[in-house]
Amino acid sequence: MTAYVIRRLLLAIPTLLMMLTMIFVLVRLVPGDPAITILGDQASEQALRSLRAELGLDQPIYVQYVDFVFNAVTGDFGRSLFTGRTVLEEVLVVLPFTLELTAASVLLATLLGLPLGTVAALYRNLWPDYVSRVVSMIGLSLPSFVVGILLLLALAVNLGWLPVITKNGGSVGDHVRSLVLPTFTLGITMTALIARVARSSMLNVLSEDYIRTARAKGIPPARLIRRHALRNAMIPVVTVVGLYFGTLIGNSVLTEIVFSRPGLGKLIVGALNARDYTMLQGLMVVFAAFVILVNVFTDIAYGLVDPRVKYS
Amino acid sequence: MTLRWKEALFAGAIAIAADAAIAAPVLAEQKVLRVGMGADISGLDPHRASLTTDKGPIGWMFNALVRFAPGSADPKDIEPDLAESWTGSDNGTEWTFKLRKDVKFHGDWGVLTADDVVYSLNRAKDPKRSTFASAYSAFKTIEAVDPLTVRIELEHPVPGFLGLVANYHGGNIVSKKAAEAKGADFAKAPIGTGPFRFVEYVTQQHAIFLKHEGYFRGAPKIDRIEYRFIPSETSRELAFSSGELDLTWGRREQRWIERWNKREGSIIDVYQPGEYRTIHLNTTMAPLNDRRVREAVAHAINVDEIVTFIGKDVGPKGCSVVPTGYLGEDCSAGEYAYDLKKAKALLTEAGFANGVTIKSVVSNSNAQLPVMQVIQGQLAKAGIKLDMQVVDHPTYQELSRKDASGMIFYGAARFPVADTFLSEFFHSSAIVGTPTAITNFSHCAVADKQIDAARSEGDPKKQMAYWVEAQRLIHQEVCAVPLFNLMQVFLRSDKLDYGYKLTGALNLVPPITELTDLKK
Repeated sequence: MTAYVIRRLLLAIPTLLMMLTMIFVLVRLVPGDPAITILGDQASEQALRSLRAELGLDQPIYVQYVDFVFNAVTGDFGRSLFTGRTVLEEVLVVLPFTLELTAASVLLATLLGLPLGTVAALYRNLWPDYVSRVVSMIGLSLPSFVVGILLLLALAVNLGWLPVITKNGGSVGDHVRSLVLPTFTLGITMTALIARVARSSMLNVLSEDYIRTARAKGIPPARLIRRHALRNAMIPVVTVVGLYFGTLIGNSVLTEIVFSRPGLGKLIVGALNARDYTMLQGLMVVFAAFVILVNVFTDIAYGLVDPRVKYS
Repeated sequence: MTLRWKEALFAGAIAIAADAAIAAPVLAEQKVLRVGMGADISGLDPHRASLTTDKGPIGWMFNALVRFAPGSADPKDIEPDLAESWTGSDNGTEWTFKLRKDVKFHGDWGVLTADDVVYSLNRAKDPKRSTFASAYSAFKTIEAVDPLTVRIELEHPVPGFLGLVANYHGGNIVSKKAAEAKGADFAKAPIGTGPFRFVEYVTQQHAIFLKHEGYFRGAPKIDRIEYRFIPSETSRELAFSSGELDLTWGRREQRWIERWNKREGSIIDVYQPGEYRTIHLNTTMAPLNDRRVREAVAHAINVDEIVTFIGKDVGPKGCSVVPTGYLGEDCSAGEYAYDLKKAKALLTEAGFANGVTIKSVVSNSNAQLPVMQVIQGQLAKAGIKLDMQVVDHPTYQELSRKDASGMIFYGAARFPVADTFLSEFFHSSAIVGTPTAITNFSHCAVADKQIDAARSEGDPKKQMAYWVEAQRLIHQEVCAVPLFNLMQVFLRSDKLDYGYKLTGALNLVPPITELTDLKK
């Protein structure tokens, strides 16, 4: 398996390089001048030119590209054009918040979605199944910003149980309380998705011959589900969780905005609005690296839940 | 096993509750002002900062030779700040300022001297280090006569000169030692003499300011300011409603103001300077290169209807290309009365009886797109098709400077003297696309002589006459259609007492001074 993981990681290098090039080109195709964003509309053309030179934006595009790639492979993603802080510094400040929220949401969604889907499959076309399907449909239909605002109104403003603003530097209690609503908001859609996939996968597995055989052998239902059905039904669920984990890192932007949480999603939107090229490039590398890592971990997880999976 | 889980959960809950209980009283003893803003700080160098989120705290951290009395944006209310007195020569080209003694910079950066003032104003004049350099181009020499005296010599008299050495943009005084030692990092850890000192900035979260104990007007009543970055307007309102914020940006909309005015515990502040909204007409782009078409556009825009749409409190109507209330504003040229018949007749006369199409790059911002949609509807009634290219704000800013637009909706707030608006928007040296460009989108060049003459005129009456004539000529040429003045709106808790009456704030955010207090 080690050789497999190393091979996967090595394969990621050309992928990253291709992506770096694409991002470099795409970011510069977008109209908008970072110098105007930084200096404001009152700045004279002379001041704008001077700033462009200071930021290296007056250099030929190929010079900028070579500098960017050379610096990126040495781990230097440059400084934000907007704040002057290093991209790595900015990313490292918000990264824990993104990872924390993503991990909490995935955990919540798995803990709720998996039983919901399993129960739905076991009681197919009976009321638990209908409840599970309705809950899933609601979860998938509600936009996260609507859920977020409704939760804030009910639990933060009216009842005062939880804070509206995410606070950093407060007590651990403050921090945990700040995490509750964003986790529910982000986790709700994923819960619905996992429940649907788990239901459909369980239904497939439950119709397999070996399940019928196991039943005929008199294996108690709880053990049958836990040992024989659930593990085999997990592969599609792991795939969905893996894929979603990767996209959640970027998709959490609305939740981050509604709950005033720091995060990579918000950082990328800010960088895009400010035409902060270096920040955008650095963030894209981080996103790509995450997606690649999550994919590798997902592949490893297949082997853990299903011993028939071999790495070659 | 079950019991262990329950025990663990119980222990966890107790630990969290205890942790919160210990942390809470520490801040409860302090007076903490919690401010919610819509965006991150980009930098706190006063000579660079142009965003509202940056300018607010800069106003709390820095002083200048003179200042606008807290709560006022009127140049008539300028009063001593770091300078305790000043004198000007009869022709207005030489100014001498006597500094206060023992004014302390934040931290260990020493006491203010004339060298700091000389350094700061030279820095403000340098385009490599300042966004506002062009405003200081008439500063010939800035010298320290002695450690507490500064003399400034001007190339020619400058209208509203004191505004350039006031607590606004380039007029702010920085610590020379700190600025030289920190270089580009000064924007991240600025050092001034103001009532609050910078302590911490955390990306996407907050900036923290603590009171400056050694402030020369006395230690502030507020101990700490938490400046929180909350991009969602709804979340800011919810945070205010739940008591997590004391002061926050408001929406510049009449209905919003009326709704919040009814809420107990909240106060709405509507104040100057407004951002003056104007439609600039590109006089070099067909069909607007025909003055009759521009006049037709002006007569087809119903400004009263737009003002009703925006709201009387937040968007009072303008009457000149110089914003309402600016020194030198004159409305004697009259307005372009709403007259569809006249608009159609002018179009026919110009050879466009079947109507015309005008291109316009429009920002998708809330402050612009809805108004442009109203204008689009109004123009259609006169047979003028407004072909809007809706883009995001940075793209709009760039394209507007590349002459991609026939009609440019623009909002701006400047130092309240006619010269700033006339020079930046209507002087030929500011025409977009030229090496000295600023924001002359209309390519208007009919009043250069009057704008230049007013700038160097020492006699206020003659100066006013030049400005009046400049506004008349620009009106006659139909370079722009004045719309309305979009006022600043802030929402605050009734526990927050500014310590002054807020009618204006040039930095756009209410000043927090040593007198500002939070009642328990």
